[in-house]
Amino acid sequence: MPKLYTFLKYFFVVLWACFVIAPFLWAISTSFKDFNSVTGGATYIPWLQFEPTLDGWSVLFKPGSQGGINIIGPYFNSIFVTLTASLISIVLGTLAAYALSRYTFKAGIVKNNDITFFFISQRIMPPVVLSIPFFIFLSSLGLLDSLAGLILVYIVLLMPIAVWIMVDFFNRVPREIDETALIDGCNPFQAFFKVVLPNSVPGMLVAGLFCIIFGWIDFFFAFILTFTKVQLLPVKIVALNSSITPWWSLSAAALVSVAPLIIVAFIVERYLSKGNLSGALK
Amino acid sequence: MAKIILENIAHTYEPNASNPIFALKEMSLSWADGGRYALLGPSGCGKTTMLNIMSGLVNPSHGKVFFDERDVTSMITEERNIAQVFQFPVIYGTMTVFENLSFPLKCRQFPEDQIERKVKEVAEILNLQDYLNNRAKGLTADQKQLISLGRGLVREDVAAILMDEPLTVIDPDLKFRLRRKLKEINDKYKTTLIYVTHDQNEAMTFADNIIVMDQGEVVQAGSPKDLFERPQTTFVGYFIGSPAMNLYECSASSKNEISIGVNSFKVQTNINNSKSENLKLGIRSEYITVEDEHSDNSLEADIIEVEDFGNYKLITASFDSFKIKAKVKRELDIPSEKVILKLPAEHCCIYEDNKLI
Repeated sequence: MPKLYTFLKYFFVVLWACFVIAPFLWAISTSFKDFNSVTGGATYIPWLQFEPTLDGWSVLFKPGSQGGINIIGPYFNSIFVTLTASLISIVLGTLAAYALSRYTFKAGIVKNNDITFFFISQRIMPPVVLSIPFFIFLSSLGLLDSLAGLILVYIVLLMPIAVWIMVDFFNRVPREIDETALIDGCNPFQAFFKVVLPNSVPGMLVAGLFCIIFGWIDFFFAFILTFTKVQLLPVKIVALNSSITPWWSLSAAALVSVAPLIIVAFIVERYLSKGNLSGALK
Repeated sequence: MAKIILENIAHTYEPNASNPIFALKEMSLSWADGGRYALLGPSGCGKTTMLNIMSGLVNPSHGKVFFDERDVTSMITEERNIAQVFQFPVIYGTMTVFENLSFPLKCRQFPEDQIERKVKEVAEILNLQDYLNNRAKGLTADQKQLISLGRGLVREDVAAILMDEPLTVIDPDLKFRLRRKLKEINDKYKTTLIYVTHDQNEAMTFADNIIVMDQGEVVQAGSPKDLFERPQTTFVGYFIGSPAMNLYECSASSKNEISIGVNSFKVQTNINNSKSENLKLGIRSEYITVEDEHSDNSLEADIIEVEDFGNYKLITASFDSFKIKAKVKRELDIPSEKVILKLPAEHCCIYEDNKLI
């Protein structure tokens, strides 16, 4: 019985792994193909079934004058905007979440839970609802088509995620830890920074991962709020599309754009299990 | 170190309610400097609230807290210089055992050499010296609780160490050793120790003074002997001692005599002035003796059960419709059906409306 169980366990894990990795393998092989190899029926093995070429990849790095799209600038723009917005969201979100978890707020009928819900409700709304207000807002500040403008908007979009995850995290951290720090001689700020915060790193990493994912993959606002001066990666990749879909360079672009997320996920992965989160303190 | 005085303290967690429930009803209490106290009572009786008021984690709805002459009521926890140990271990998981123990001293900016010396001394007392460089997170529950305790002990100048059922997670043998250790620490440093527990044995063996609480009120404060021999209320009689005090509704038949059903008993209390219908007689099972013949204050009871606890026997018997428990020496031969039990007058406590008269 245990053997059968082990077999089934491994069988499904391997099956799931194949399911997850297949699109990547597909994209990798397509990125090294040319027009004929892509349209001439399914082929899998390079050199044997098709002749690999770097055409798909070279388009990504060639300047526009040579028929390429040069994603390097937008790539670094995306990294800068996503990381800055995520970092600010995590810092502000963590502070807000700690306050919401530990102190009682009351304004009329609005209490802590309502404020937390207010944060989350920003994500419930369809993004299109926010597009015109954001456009007018950035336009009035003179921040349209700028990195600062995008960062501002992304903070609004990412902070609810940070608050949501961190409120839940702090609620699971026993209050006694803060109280002990106060008793040991900290003031409330020292208690937060010296004791609570170092123990909250796993939660912050997880919140950070989600912020980075949501910030990195956003196309909608990057498309609406930028024109020519500033471009982010998703917008640039879409610009690749033409009357004949260039599957090879789209595949290469997809691989390049997903690479940072995979790296971040590998780093944060060990903190993702619930046990690690709840076991952070006691 | 300081004398702690609670003056007309009361606390409710729902100050805005029209008819708030008080977790702590108005009371005044003082804790002598260097005393060893146990705060005893059932769960939810207000013990933890009282501790939190002393440490400043809770601001009392009414009354004032004094450390010696100093009014500390509005002072924040950090300024009160109190140590508090909670029921479950609270450790700083990202720090080593050494860093955990030295944290209160570092917060108060003690010199490094003093920190090192004090931490090592406390680690030795708590048998943690081999773990000083280990991460606190990886230790067992009782070791973690020792760290919590250690953080309280490293500061010699604390006004008091408040312990909220601190030994719950610790195994019985270590519990015994730690209680002894705490007593030693109290003798050596003269630090006021206030120990919250709902376990009367823990309270009796640890403290010089026991404060018994029930439903937000202090029902009796005194030495373990006082509490045992002269419980001021039927609650204390019932709560302290194992088995609980035998309690019977009775009526006054003369100045020094009461009757329970058909049985009359002489008592040393003057019950002439009692107007209440609600009279009770209480007697500890330890003071009831087994007799061969009837005499004053004796009764005949039917044996229900005799339990052998190794060092004593516990007789459970019935008379009229009442049950009575007597704790007797193990060697004593006990008849199998009927037994004559004597309730010595000097140990009979009379309660009027559940209060000792």
